[in-house]
Formats: sequence, C-alpha cells, structure tokens
Amino acid sequence: MLGYLCKYTPVEALEAVGAEMRLIEPSVTNFDQADTLMHPNMCSYVKGVLEELDKNELEGLVLTTCCDSVRRLYDVLKERRPDLFLYMLDLPRRVNAFTEGMYKKDIERCVKAYAEWNEGMVLRSTGTGGRFSVPAERGDGSPFQQNEGTVLRSAASGVRVGLMGARCPAAVRALLAEKGVRVVFDLTCTGQDRGEVFAEQAKVFGPGPKQEEDTGSRPDDAALSGYASALLNQIPCLRMVRATDRERYLEGFMSEIDGIVYHTVKFCDMYSFEYAKLHRESRLPILKLETDLTAQCEGQIRTRIEAFVESLEQGRAEMRQKETKQKAEQESVLRSTYVMGVDSGSTSTNAVILDQDAKIVAAVVIRTGAKTSESAEKAMETALREAGLQKEGLSRIVSTGYGRVSNPYADKDVTEISCHAKGARYFDTQVRTILDIGGQDSKAIRLDANGEVADFVMNDKCAAGTGRFLEAMARTLELDISELGPESLRSTEMVRISSMCTVFAESEVISLIAQNKEKADIARGVHEAIAGKSWSLLRRVGIEPHVMMTGGVARNPGVVKAIEEKIAQKLVICEQPDIVGAVGAALYALESLQKQ
Amino acid sequence: MNIARTYGDLVRKNMETHPDRAAWLIRKGLHLEAFRCKHLADKRMPQAYRYLNYQGIHLVAEALDHPENYAWTNIFAPVELLQSFGLTCVCMECLSSYLSGFYLEDALIDYAESEGLASTMCSYHKSFIGAVDAGLIPRASCAVTTSMICDGNVQTFRHLEERHAVPAFVLDIPHTYSAEAEAYVVDQLTELIAFLEKKTGRAFDMEELQRTLERENESKAHFLSFLQKRMTRRYPNTLTLVVFQLFATHLDIGMPWVLDFFRQLDQEIDRYPLSDEKRLLWLHLEPFDQKTLRSYLNYGDKVTLAYDDFDLDYTEPLDAAHPLQSLARKMILNIYNGDFRRKVEAIEGFVNTYRPDGVVQFCHWGCRQSSGGVMLLKDKMKELDVPMLVLDGDAIDRRNCPDGQIRTRFEAFLEVLRKDGE
Repeated sequence: MLGYLCKYTPVEALEAVGAEMRLIEPSVTNFDQADTLMHPNMCSYVKGVLEELDKNELEGLVLTTCCDSVRRLYDVLKERRPDLFLYMLDLPRRVNAFTEGMYKKDIERCVKAYAEWNEGMVLRSTGTGGRFSVPAERGDGSPFQQNEGTVLRSAASGVRVGLMGARCPAAVRALLAEKGVRVVFDLTCTGQDRGEVFAEQAKVFGPGPKQEEDTGSRPDDAALSGYASALLNQIPCLRMVRATDRERYLEGFMSEIDGIVYHTVKFCDMYSFEYAKLHRESRLPILKLETDLTAQCEGQIRTRIEAFVESLEQGRAEMRQKETKQKAEQESVLRSTYVMGVDSGSTSTNAVILDQDAKIVAAVVIRTGAKTSESAEKAMETALREAGLQKEGLSRIVSTGYGRVSNPYADKDVTEISCHAKGARYFDTQVRTILDIGGQDSKAIRLDANGEVADFVMNDKCAAGTGRFLEAMARTLELDISELGPESLRSTEMVRISSMCTVFAESEVISLIAQNKEKADIARGVHEAIAGKSWSLLRRVGIEPHVMMTGGVARNPGVVKAIEEKIAQKLVICEQPDIVGAVGAALYALESLQKQ
Repeated sequence: MNIARTYGDLVRKNMETHPDRAAWLIRKGLHLEAFRCKHLADKRMPQAYRYLNYQGIHLVAEALDHPENYAWTNIFAPVELLQSFGLTCVCMECLSSYLSGFYLEDALIDYAESEGLASTMCSYHKSFIGAVDAGLIPRASCAVTTSMICDGNVQTFRHLEERHAVPAFVLDIPHTYSAEAEAYVVDQLTELIAFLEKKTGRAFDMEELQRTLERENESKAHFLSFLQKRMTRRYPNTLTLVVFQLFATHLDIGMPWVLDFFRQLDQEIDRYPLSDEKRLLWLHLEPFDQKTLRSYLNYGDKVTLAYDDFDLDYTEPLDAAHPLQSLARKMILNIYNGDFRRKVEAIEGFVNTYRPDGVVQFCHWGCRQSSGGVMLLKDKMKELDVPMLVLDGDAIDRRNCPDGQIRTRFEAFLEVLRKDGE
C-alpha cells in the first residue's frame, strides 16, 4: 500500500498499475519521531505522517512538492528509510498547457518508477516472480476513492457550514456531525471528493486492471494528458499562483451556508492568509480552529465548535421570535422559581443562583480542586447555603466552563462563550466586546447589537497572557497574587518583559530581579505584556465600545490600567467579574425553563 | 540610552493614531542612519564594509522616498532584470531587519497576527506585512517574487497585492532542474519583461542586462578571492554586516557600486594581519541583535563569523551571452532549491574548500525549509568531523530569542571548538 498526502497526487494513475493508495490521516498522541528526525517546528501534519509510517503497513509514499514541510519530509525519508518507495512529484504552481505537459511526464515517471520498484519488491519478497496483486474492485466499479469527509450529514440542527482551510482532523468532522451540522462543501486539503473531480477521467481509465493483464495496463497518452490537466485544474489550493478561483467557488455557496468552519494546522501558515482575508471581508460568521491534529485536540476544539453552532442557531431569526412568544406564555407559570448556573473553570468554580425575576440570590467563587466534579458539588452546597435553599428548590441547573461536561448534577451544558455573552449583558446592556482572562485561557468575544455572539477568538494552548501566567510571575516576585496589581501602580520606570511564554518570562523576571529592578516596575512590565496579548486578541474580533473585562484577572487594577491604556478606552468591570459566566449559565437555565 | 529604541518608541507611539507621521519618522530615521554610517562609523569597521553599510541603507531610504521607482522583491528574485528597468529592489527580509533595528518588530508582528496571520509564521514576513498594512511603508510600484525555497513568498505577495493593489509577479521555479524546467522559467522571465515594460513604460535593453551579468560575474570572482584570503587573514565584521552583505550578494548584485564594493573587499583584506581566530560557517540567517552572539562575534578576535551560506547559494559564473537562461539556471540550481541533498553537498563543498572550525545552523522560527533538514546536515558534519551547533530562535523577534538558552549553547560550543584546536 502506498500513502499519499496531497490532492494533486496521481492516485488513479498509480491504482491503474496496481498500487493500493491510501490517504494518510494520522492519529497520533506525540511527535517523538518527528522531533528527533526533523525539528519540532515542522507542520504538525507532516510530523504526524512521520509517526504514522510505522503504524501502517505502507510500502512507500507518493508526495508532491506541495509545501516546505513535505519537501523536507521527502528529504529525510530518502536518507533514513531506503526500504520505502518514495517519489515526489514536482507540482507546478502555474497551470497552463506547458505545465500540464510537464506534470504529465512527471506522472509517467512516477508510475514507471513504482512499477519497476514493485517488480523488484515482489521478486525479493516471494522469490517466485509473482505479480503484485491488484486490489479488488470497489462496489461501484470505479477506481476512485470516496472521501468520507464530504459525505453530507443529516441536517438535524439545520445549521449548514462550509469547511475550509488546511487538512482537517476527523475530530472536527465528527463533532460537526454530532451537533447535527451539515457540511455543504469541504475545501480543506484533500476534502473534495475525487470521484467528482475526476468524473470524466474515471470513464477513460475504467476499473482497475485485472491481475493477469496488468503489464499492458498503462493508460494511453491522450488519457494521461487529460488526467494531468484535470488534476492541475482542481479548485486550487493556496500554494498555487492563481488561488483566486477559490473565492468564486465560495461565492457560489454563500447563500447555502450559515457559516464557515476554518481549520488551520499548527506550523502550517499558508491558510492563515485566506482566513485573514475571509475574516476581513466575508459577511458570514467564521470559526477559526487551529489544531496540531493529535488525538488530544478534540477537547480543545469542542468548546469552540459548540459555541459556534450555538451562535449560528441563535442567529436564526424565527427561533428568536418563537422565544419571545413562549416567554409571554410561560411567565405566569414561574413563581418563586430558582435556577443555578455553575462555571467550572480551571482555577475557580463559580456558582450563581437566580430567582424567577433573574435577581441574584447567591453567588460564590471557590477554588477548583484536582477534581472538577467535587469542586462543582462544593460550589453548589455553598451557594445553596448562602441562598437558604435545598437542592430540590432548584428548578434547573446549567453548567458552563472548561469542566462543564464533568458536572454531575447539571441538566444542560452551554459553552462559556455564550454564557459570558449573556452574563455580560445582564450587568450592562451596552456591552459589545468582552475580554475574559481566565486561569488557563483567555478569550475575546464580540456581540452584535442584540447581544448575540458575532465573533470570538480564544488563545492557543499555552498559559501566555492568562491568570496562570500572572500567578507564576507573582510567585517569582514573591508577592501574593492580590498584591501584584496595586504594587505595579507604584511603578516609576518602564521595564519591558518581552517573552509571553510563562517559562521564558519567568527567567526574564529573574534576570530583572538580578539587575536590581524595582518589583513595582517589573510587575508593571508583566501587566503590559498581558495588555499587548489581550489587545491583539481583541483586535482579532474587532473592538466595539463598550468593552467589558471578565474573569478573576479583572480584579487586578494593574492589568486593567495597562489594557485601558492599550485600547484607549475604559473597561466596564462589574463588582464580581468572576461570576459573569455563571450568571450567563443561570440565565440560560431560566430561559430554558420559560420555553417549556 | 539606546537611541534606536527611543526613536522606535516614538514611531510606535504614532503607529496607531498617526501612521503617516510614523512612516515619515521611519524614512527620516533611515536617512539619519545612513548619515551615521557614512560619517560616524565604528573605527574598527573596514572601509569596504563602511561603503556597503552606507550604500545599503541609503538606497533603501531613497527608495522609500520615491516609491514610484522601487519594487518589493524577495531575496532570490531576478533583480538583474528589475535593475535594467531602473527599479530599486527592496526585499522584505531587509526592510524587516531595518524595522527590527528600530525595535519595532514586536508591534508589527502583533499587528499582522491581529489580522489573523499565524503565530507560527516567519517573523520577516509578518513584520513586513504588519508595516505595510499599518501604513508605515509606502506602496511599491510593483512586486516580484519567486516561489522557490520558502512557502511564504507566494502568500505574502498575494496578500499585498490584494490589500494594497500592488501588482505582483510570481515566478514559479521548479524543484528539479531539467531542460524543460529551464525553458519554463525562461518563458516566465519573458513574461516578466513584458510586465515590467508595461509597468515602467521603458523598453527592455538586452545589452544592459548582459553588462549587468558581466559585472555580477566579476563581483563574484572578487568575492570568492576574498573568501580564500579570509581563510588565513582577519577581517573584522559584525553579525549585522554579514546580514547587510546580502545587499551585495543578492539584492543589488550586478550594480556598479556592488562591483566597487567587492573589488575594495578583495584588496583591503590584504592589508589585514594573518590570524588564527576560530572561523565559523553560519547557516541560515543571523539574529543580528542577539546579546551573546553580538558579544562574541562583533569584531571578535577569538571567534569570527567568516562564511555565510546565503552568500554562496549560487557561485557558478553566468553566461552573459544567454542571460535569461542563465538567470533561470541560477534560480533552479540555487543550493536552497531542490532536494536537501543538494544543500548538504554544497555545505560539504564549502567545508572542504574553506575549512571552517565550526558550523552554526540557526533555525529561525517559522522557517520549515531550513529547520526540517537540520538533522541531515548534522549527520554530514559529524561524518566530516566538523563541530556543528544548532540554535533555535528568531532572527528578528527579540521576544523569541531568549539569551539564557543561546548563551549556554554558544559558550559550550566555543569550549568544544577550543578543545578541538588544542
């Protein structure tokens, strides 16, 4: 079996000489191989391929010169794995009659090389000179592989999206399917259905060759020319010179989709350009996901996909109208009802109890322990005690936050994105932008005029610019976290902390201490570093006044001041900035009760 | 007080609110720096480098003052052709370096990232995009890039074309050499000539191009002669000067001033003493403001950065009788293009020719084409018994080039070199 990575690979021509072709979709949990054979900063997909090689029974790989990482993958394998069949096609970036001719010849060379190598392999391995066995025909008699990724899903949620960007992990497709989202088109690397792309060529080639007649089965010249041309004339990927055709393709689908899910691969930058352009110009909501394609990425993207689907669902006007109607009908039913929202964050677990008039009757913030469910229990008990209620007195509980799915008693869970949006507007109806800096992640959310999520971004999976970062810095400065903010306000000299990585910043702070710099100045430098990171997060969603800051870090006056200076406007901060998400969750609980 | 940083802070303050003022400050700053290079140069700097330093920065400052006559390019573009149309080539790598010289790279990189560009992307590209998008760099009359070596080129120039309506021409350079590949590139060069004729309103002068190639050959011959002498003689330099040498070996190669520079370099070294300093061959971009490296390598007399692979990426003489074919071959057969084996063999050749005491590979953040093959290079150097150090960092983004890590590695490497020499 031969592996391939790129949609421009002549899969069908190789199948015609008996190769069994498989698209490599790595599912790995680490990049140990890649980090030693190449470099940790290579594209995650290529690193995954390297890990996957030994797991699969692959006899080789057919690559194209599609990107820097793949070119180096070829070079490394060429040196290190002489046992594999390797061929890299020189894929042109311009498409015209000349390059089609060049590519056709390259395809011929590739097919010939494989046929020769295969003969040799069979002879060596069996010693009988027997022929390589041809794979059985597929059900439809066509040699074309159906790509599962583009199978249209059932439209349970009614939400339709286009999938774009670099190659997409199975987890994204699975999550979309789980949420009942219909993927109308898939423009990711190998997302398009090859059968559709080469419908014409399928007729020319016919089914795969029979075992006894495979030597003469090389496709004829004209057919191969047509095939090379069809390959190069697919919807172009971003490496091609004329990638503008992609926009026309997308334009044709604009009215058929509610939003775009845009996936990029860590350390593959090509698609961030198209994302930036769509983000700038498209009128459709876009969800940007970046993963390293590992098995662990699912947890990271679940919240984002769920929040996006929620916001698309909410965007449907008829649903809103229905809600208003139901609200009026149900209002009389609600007398002396209590609901609770619980926000399980990485650092604190916050619980809020609201009454039927959405008035706060209890609000608690406790530190999250090692087990989410235990902290959630404890938060509930504390809140109930504060409200003077029994658990039975709660009509509905909604959980949110990183640990929302691990909440043992919640009736429903809603992402913290939606909850923050709702919670923020509860405190201030004018809020249009939210900056939430939590313990483990930070996010920026932009709301539309109706208070619904219009766009949001979350930071990457590191502690840069989060509460944890501040805690580490406070520890290094031998200050309590609560002292860090007031201390920084006493600063008289500007000290720059350049690194945002917690580990590097810590060593920078240590060297500043060694230089006898004042604690206050270093603390201010730390806060300004966070402000810079927050600004860039906010700019990615677009800053609309009024901006509310939520999360525990909003209690730090030093960070608040630095951000206010950076964005040149005052931040709205409510009395208890850590409970905004929990209030939002409680409001969702109240709404769902009213809908019944 | 660090004047450049203070000046940069002034630009930074104006960036968001008064981009025009910030752009003006950058242009003035470049002129001031050119003046400083000409009249207040470091006493230790050889004359040839003073000339290079001044010319490089002066040409960029002039280009930004007269944007109608300048073109954005990458470092591998066929600048010889653009020169024959009277266009000054300013490449993004060089502009980004200057902006980093003003301590602006963090603001510009953040700006580009806030537009949605990847955090893992090369900081040269991001600084340049950030500067242009923020209105700090005037629009060029056109842009010419090659697809070779780095994925970022096609994307960056497409972005600039779409955002700022700067017509861009992308030369697609095949990975592998063949007669057909050469013909394909020659075809594109012919197309590029038509594009430039239309853009500038000037007719193409083949003879002018031929003269340029002849000057280029002569320049390279002087340079190779200089490098031979460098094996035994001391010739003081700095990390920044090695970076600036790219003006001579790439961006302005073929121009009369470059021939003057190389001639001067080749003559001046004869006046410098013989020395047994440790000579390094540097692979792939210098982080010119890195504290530890600066402290050892700038005018260092124990260890020196004598050779740089960028300067040697294509050393064959060009056939002036067939200029377009020569330029096509120069791009396809560049040591960075094609299989990595070509590069490994070229580095092996340099090691055998110039006998450096050690090799340093700098893995610049975001540069996959260079980092991806580093283990193959390491194997080869081991086989040749030449000490090799691999440093990870960012050549221009100071936030991503922590001194602690670089210092330990570099000093340990120097200890190895000294031991080897014992």
